[in-house]
Amino acid sequence: MEDPRDRQYTNGEITVFWKPSKCIHATTCFRELIEVFNPGRRPWVNMEGAPTRRIIEVVKKCPTQALEFKYNREMDQDEIESNNPVVAEETPETLNRKEEKEEENQTRPTRINLMKDGPIVVEGDFKVIGPEGNTLKSMLMTSFCRCGGSKSMPFCDGTHRKIGFSEKD
Amino acid sequence: MMENKNTQFKVNADGPLEISGEFELFDTSGEIITRQGPIYLCRCGNSKDKPFCDGSHKASDFSG
Ligand code: FES
Ligand code: FES
Repeated sequence: MEDPRDRQYTNGEITVFWKPSKCIHATTCFRELIEVFNPGRRPWVNMEGAPTRRIIEVVKKCPTQALEFKYNREMDQDEIESNNPVVAEETPETLNRKEEKEEENQTRPTRINLMKDGPIVVEGDFKVIGPEGNTLKSMLMTSFCRCGGSKSMPFCDGTHRKIGFSEKD
Repeated sequence: MMENKNTQFKVNADGPLEISGEFELFDTSGEIITRQGPIYLCRCGNSKDKPFCDGSHKASDFSG
């Protein structure tokens, strides 16, 4: 059965399929390639963020079938056309909590991961409060900019790579 | 659902990210650095003490 939350993203050459129900938040995709897989952005998959070859490499590292890909030339035309951008997209962070993998996620504290020369990636159950003390939102996953250069502060938009951010200096 | 002493991320204007509540902070190689808040992580990119804020954001005129 098709899950209505399933999504697909294409760059014209390949199509990447995302199945939220299979996602165990292994974080492999955005650790490896935040330019493409960025939970802080909508849509969270940006197929223009890296060359096809690199996207394929990372998709193959997904430990579950949450991420898969096909070459467009191997797909039916109408399969590809059902590809239009969607308005209300789920991302790893908006997944229904009921579907979170039981106790583990509920009892484990929020995990904050520093990406090398990149953002702060957060997963868990947490709140983000803006500079004015307003609650931006409750989230399950996001990425905060730490290079100082994002155009969509406080979240990472991939700029760190463009400006050659290095955490060393 | 278990009360997960909700972790809070406060985005300080033109300054660091303030984290409180329960959490685990991992470095770039996946080692735990700390579980103990509140902590202040650099958002401006200029700290000499990354990932933590060392106050450099002021001198660097960071806005965001
Ligand atoms: S860390 Fe990614 S845009 Fe700043
Ligand atoms: S935010 Fe304070 S030193 Fe960067």
